[in-house]
Amino acid sequence: MSNISLKYKGYIGKILRVNLTDKTTRNFQITNELAEKYIGGAGMAARILYDELAPGIDPLSPENKAILLTGPVEGTMIPTASRVGLYAKSPLTNTFFHSSAGGHFGPEMKFAGYDGIILEGVSNKPVYLFVDDGRVEIRKADHLWGLDTTMVQEQLFEELGSEELQIAAIGPAGEKRVRFACVICGSRALGRGGLGAVLGSKKLKAIVVRGQGDIDVPDMRRMKYLLDDLFSRFNANPSTSEILPRYGTPVLVNANNTLGLFGFNNWQDEFYPEAEGLSGDTMRKELVRRDKSCYACPSRCGKFSIVEKGSNKGAKVEGPEYEDIFSLGSMCGHNNLDVVAAAERLCDDLGVDAIEAGVAIAFAMECYEKGILTDADTDGVNLSFGNDDIIMDMVTNIALRKNKLGDILAEGVKRAADKIGKGSHDFAMQNKGLTFPGHSARGMPGFALGYATGPRGASHHDGRPTGERTGFVKRNTIEGKGEYTAKINHLNILTDSMILCHLPEAVWGPLDITEIIVRCINTTTGMDLTLDETKKTAERIWNLIRAFSIREGYRREHDTLPKRFMEEPIKTGPSKGMVISQEMLDYMLDQYYDFRGWDRTTGIPSKEKLLELGLDDIAADMDKYR
Amino acid sequence: MQITLRTFANLKDIIGSRETTVTLTPGAELSDLFDFLDNTYGKRFDRQIRDQRTKEIVPFLILINNETFRSVADMNRPLKNGDVVTIMVPFDGG
Repeated sequence: MSNISLKYKGYIGKILRVNLTDKTTRNFQITNELAEKYIGGAGMAARILYDELAPGIDPLSPENKAILLTGPVEGTMIPTASRVGLYAKSPLTNTFFHSSAGGHFGPEMKFAGYDGIILEGVSNKPVYLFVDDGRVEIRKADHLWGLDTTMVQEQLFEELGSEELQIAAIGPAGEKRVRFACVICGSRALGRGGLGAVLGSKKLKAIVVRGQGDIDVPDMRRMKYLLDDLFSRFNANPSTSEILPRYGTPVLVNANNTLGLFGFNNWQDEFYPEAEGLSGDTMRKELVRRDKSCYACPSRCGKFSIVEKGSNKGAKVEGPEYEDIFSLGSMCGHNNLDVVAAAERLCDDLGVDAIEAGVAIAFAMECYEKGILTDADTDGVNLSFGNDDIIMDMVTNIALRKNKLGDILAEGVKRAADKIGKGSHDFAMQNKGLTFPGHSARGMPGFALGYATGPRGASHHDGRPTGERTGFVKRNTIEGKGEYTAKINHLNILTDSMILCHLPEAVWGPLDITEIIVRCINTTTGMDLTLDETKKTAERIWNLIRAFSIREGYRREHDTLPKRFMEEPIKTGPSKGMVISQEMLDYMLDQYYDFRGWDRTTGIPSKEKLLELGLDDIAADMDKYR
Repeated sequence: MQITLRTFANLKDIIGSRETTVTLTPGAELSDLFDFLDNTYGKRFDRQIRDQRTKEIVPFLILINNETFRSVADMNRPLKNGDVVTIMVPFDGG
């Protein structure tokens, strides 16, 4: 039954609520206020989880809830309206976490009759959820438990008698509660934050959706003109029309390395002389067999690759993406793209975040280099940087918690450094528990501020590297970076709430929310938001998420960077000498908090700011923490 | 005067190699290098660096001897004989 009380289009109007403990289901109706104030995706999920999760709960306990959610645009033909987000309190960071994926799952879930699914409680036995055109079943999954994510999908295709399904599944890593376990949708990953472990803790192996519904918009003629405009912009922009389709994200290997911004040997340096072997050019020539698109996207940045030589010959992968190449390649000190591709596939199959896994291996390699870990700790394995022979085994050991070192690293580098000690925190390249992806902090001050203040920790989707990396703004200054970073936060969290992909950010922004985004929301939903109101909505969501973090104990002192980024200047290459000192970071933090109306000492949003944003209840909550 | 031009990805595909030598008139600026590339490679090059609706050059970085310059602000930067110029492809995202 549709939600007749919701006046806005684009939405289905209801979210399925599934209690895995007592196996009951009911509907959560999206209200006009929820849509108006939080749009969908990350914003709506943050509001629901702020209201429904008690502070301080264990993310892997039955008290945590996970939400799969789309936004109003999913299922329309707005470019990149393909996404689905997964939201929960993260076992890696203990913060509200959102991770989204392209592909086809998001639109299919809406066609199946729901904007999203709230998953609560814990099943006593493995189960999977099947949402088939409005019909909901919780089915036994004992026979699926232990299977990797590819095998789960193949098994479900077979037993459900169709491949016209979209499946989100965890692998063995999620079952074993690896703190950075992911969820795989088709061949796309809800990658970061360990949300696969949350599903594993609930004994939920997979969610299957299939549907034939459609999406209502208020005025098809108006939508047609919007789509004409959007596709024209995508076709005109060099990034979305030329670079992404040809090379995908791996083009960044040469781009970042040429600028001296490419993490190498656990960020001991940012210029890798042998990076060409990992480049988009090499990958296109040696690995890529065809291009792939997500639903409604003209940019086809996905690359289907096959390894043609070496011990991993025959490995097939959608990717590897830039982040995989960074984490499983240069961070571990080697440039064997075949190994990277195979290891990325292994990460997907076993269900771990490839960024976190690669950085964990690099962290262990530096421990080994410094003598903090010895052959006795590694079962005799030579963990030297550059030894690409051990990458596959290390991924397996971590994802399956197969040996003592793998079990330690499966907790994430922050907890691993807690356990290993001996000064290893100095080079545990994380913030708030989340490891740094492949974009420099030292070489881009505004982006460093985005990393430091990121509510998810070191995510490259809270701040963004693009403005400084492409020259929209000067990268060799800290002046003005507080406002710069805050506006990019707002652009990101708004697109994460609609939900749109960040890769075409030149079309959406890239430095602030623009009119084209407002048109996307209004044309899809029938809202009548102005640009200022839309910016206010994004700011509201950002403050809500900050309040979630405050409630969990995060303050200004947690808005920081690893010692390496603040005390060790980049050693070689075009960015040699760049560093973000504590003094520089403090200056930018003051700018950032001032722009936001947050207290400089604590980082808590001011009462006035929260009231201005219509977050009256949260203003009262925050009084407890001032 | 001669400069060494380096690039990669789509621009390398169009120019034909990662590195090439370009001869420019003494006193040339960065914009003269881009005029040369426009004249030599035409529409294929144009599509890599300009928005096809506005015909404006989009933001990207250019290294001259490892010093960073911006396409949106530094096109009048003078070049000199022996300079090594690296053009970054305009790429957002990642």
